[in-house]
Amino acid sequence: MNGLRQARLVAAREIRERLRSPVYYVSLGLMLVSVLAAILAPSLVGSGGEKKVGVAGETPASLVRTLEGQARATGTEVSVRRYASTDAGEDAVRHGRIDVLVVDGRRLEWQRRADEELKALITGSAQVVAVQERATAAGIRPETLGALLAPVKVGNRVLGPVAGRTSDDETATYLLSIMLFLTVSVYGGMVLTGVVEEKSSRVVEVLLARLPPWSLLAGKIAGIGVLGLVQVAVTGVAALVAVSVSDLADLPAARASVLAWAVVWFVVGYTLIATAYGVLGSLTSRSEDASSVTGPLTVVLIAAYFAGFATIGSPDALWARLVSWFPVTAPFAMPNRIAMGAALWWEPLLALVLTAAATAGLVVLGGRIYSHAILRTGAVVKLVDAWRGSSVAARVRTRPGRGAQAALVAGAVALGAVAGVLSRDVVVGVGAGAIALTIASRFRKAHR
Amino acid sequence: MLEFEGVTKRFGSVTALDTCTFSAGPGRLTGFVGPNGAGKTTAMRSVFGLVELDAGTVRWRGAPIGQRERQRFGYMPEERGLYPRMRVRDQLRYLAELCGHGRRQSLRSVDEWLERLGLADRARDRVDTLSHGNQQRVQLIAALVNDPDLLVLDEPFAGLDPIALESMSGLLREVASAGRTVLFSSHQLDLVEDLCEDVVIIDHGRVVRSGDLAQLRAGVPQRFVELRHRGGPPDLTRLSGIVVAESVPGLVRLQVAGDVDLAELVAEVRRSTDLVSFSYRPPSLPELFREAVTA
Repeated sequence: MNGLRQARLVAAREIRERLRSPVYYVSLGLMLVSVLAAILAPSLVGSGGEKKVGVAGETPASLVRTLEGQARATGTEVSVRRYASTDAGEDAVRHGRIDVLVVDGRRLEWQRRADEELKALITGSAQVVAVQERATAAGIRPETLGALLAPVKVGNRVLGPVAGRTSDDETATYLLSIMLFLTVSVYGGMVLTGVVEEKSSRVVEVLLARLPPWSLLAGKIAGIGVLGLVQVAVTGVAALVAVSVSDLADLPAARASVLAWAVVWFVVGYTLIATAYGVLGSLTSRSEDASSVTGPLTVVLIAAYFAGFATIGSPDALWARLVSWFPVTAPFAMPNRIAMGAALWWEPLLALVLTAAATAGLVVLGGRIYSHAILRTGAVVKLVDAWRGSSVAARVRTRPGRGAQAALVAGAVALGAVAGVLSRDVVVGVGAGAIALTIASRFRKAHR
Repeated sequence: MLEFEGVTKRFGSVTALDTCTFSAGPGRLTGFVGPNGAGKTTAMRSVFGLVELDAGTVRWRGAPIGQRERQRFGYMPEERGLYPRMRVRDQLRYLAELCGHGRRQSLRSVDEWLERLGLADRARDRVDTLSHGNQQRVQLIAALVNDPDLLVLDEPFAGLDPIALESMSGLLREVASAGRTVLFSSHQLDLVEDLCEDVVIIDHGRVVRSGDLAQLRAGVPQRFVELRHRGGPPDLTRLSGIVVAESVPGLVRLQVAGDVDLAELVAEVRRSTDLVSFSYRPPSLPELFREAVTA
């Protein structure tokens, strides 16, 4: 029996055993529910809907009529309700029963912030009413004035950063990128825990007496990858169906070709990350050590994700193109640029070739480390020792000094700043910094 | 026939195996003994390519060992290990399949062994729900499930109760008598002495004795004499080449040269005390071991 057939048996075992546990179904279900909710919820709630205007005090009836006319002309639905007292009207505003209260035809009262669109509409109507009153006083006939002041229809169009892509597309692409990142890191993490489990339960020696190390690692990555692939494919198909059922006419980020590319990028990104996780996992025999060993990789992974995330906002920029070609960031950036319609036809192919080459390199280098480290139990194996294969009775890993810890924290802050600047979003920046800091402090704790 | 030839393995400045040469033949039980850290586990691992050797080769039937040969081997490592959350039957079937057995063949073998070792009713249970003794049995089946030509067991008797010990011994004898080669390590020297035709004694990475146990014992120049007597201790001062190993009231143990004149010894003893019984034998394995390892 050759190593390839053995790798297939390993993969089959991974699939069989993991399908036995409810964890897989729960994660698949959660992913499905969140994607469907994100797609269907806005169309169920309805966008904007009817604006409710309350009127109180000495607001002239002509204002209400004009407001309704203006609203019709701009395609906004407005309903008006009159309140006997200002107090009753204000109470309605405070409890969100109406969006705005017009007092005496001159003052607008809001619950929190003014709805600019509604504000413009009412202010415009008040101007029209005032002009009408003055015109009548000046002796201009109402019919003439009516013709003069007839509302003009003004259309709105959202251009977005790329031709043919709207802000809805951006939202959909954000969703796509989050989904890809989550699946890659969750399933990559499964490879990590699987490798560590084999080492900590010592079953690895029984296995490696029968099959070469590469069969064991390749089979594990492939088996878990198939499960991840099924999850991505099922979620993608569900998203397509949901989009076609709900009347979001055409959402490019949820088109079949975009989703097909997403599946391809899942495979490529997962293989890269899972190989890295598997190799690092072989350095440790205890699951407690796993997070500290993979800490740097996790930071890189999150940084790559944020770099990819930032390309959504400006997918045509030179830096965005470079990020989407670079092997580590490509799996998280290229699908976004494809979804935003910014990638030229050859760009995904180039990025694929580069990432595949990087993965192949990692397989060769990592395979050597894995096969040297996988049988060494006890303390964490040093990467250098694993590379050389010098099996000196496992040394205790040295703690990173204070300088290293400070560097980690500084790195996290810098990462947050970069993410914030690139995405032009403070929330994203702070989030990136916070996540990186959390990981950095976990790293520190693991070494105490 | 499993052959080690000049096998050398260094870990940094420590030499774990130093030009080890010995063999284990088919149809025989070969006991592998040595103090802790002598290199037994490293030697056994090298059969399975789990150690990269610095020099020398391990051969099976005259040829270097590759992946194909290993699939006809069975191995029970010192650090026992199975997937804790996997069911017993699935796990053993998987391990058999990894050796190239088909699904049906694997299951038949697994079920036979489970039946034989009294685990048939636990086949569907997770390994981590089994008692320590039963996990040991599953581990043993894992080594046997591919019907191996060569069985290598690292400390198979460690932690076994007397009954399990008995059945393990019987099983090993049976496996060997079916023409297979069995090499196992143990610290229980009396057990190895009872069980094995051949022994290999290793110390500080060097093979200090190896071969047929009876011949090894006969080949050692020393003999052991045990005297039981009544009255005062015998006066042995007039004899040369005799070492008193132990002397308590009523009993004297002596170490003598192989060519000692027994008649003279007996006559000398009877002159000074009342001899009750007398025994003369070659060294036992524990004595052989002590002599070889401290030499």
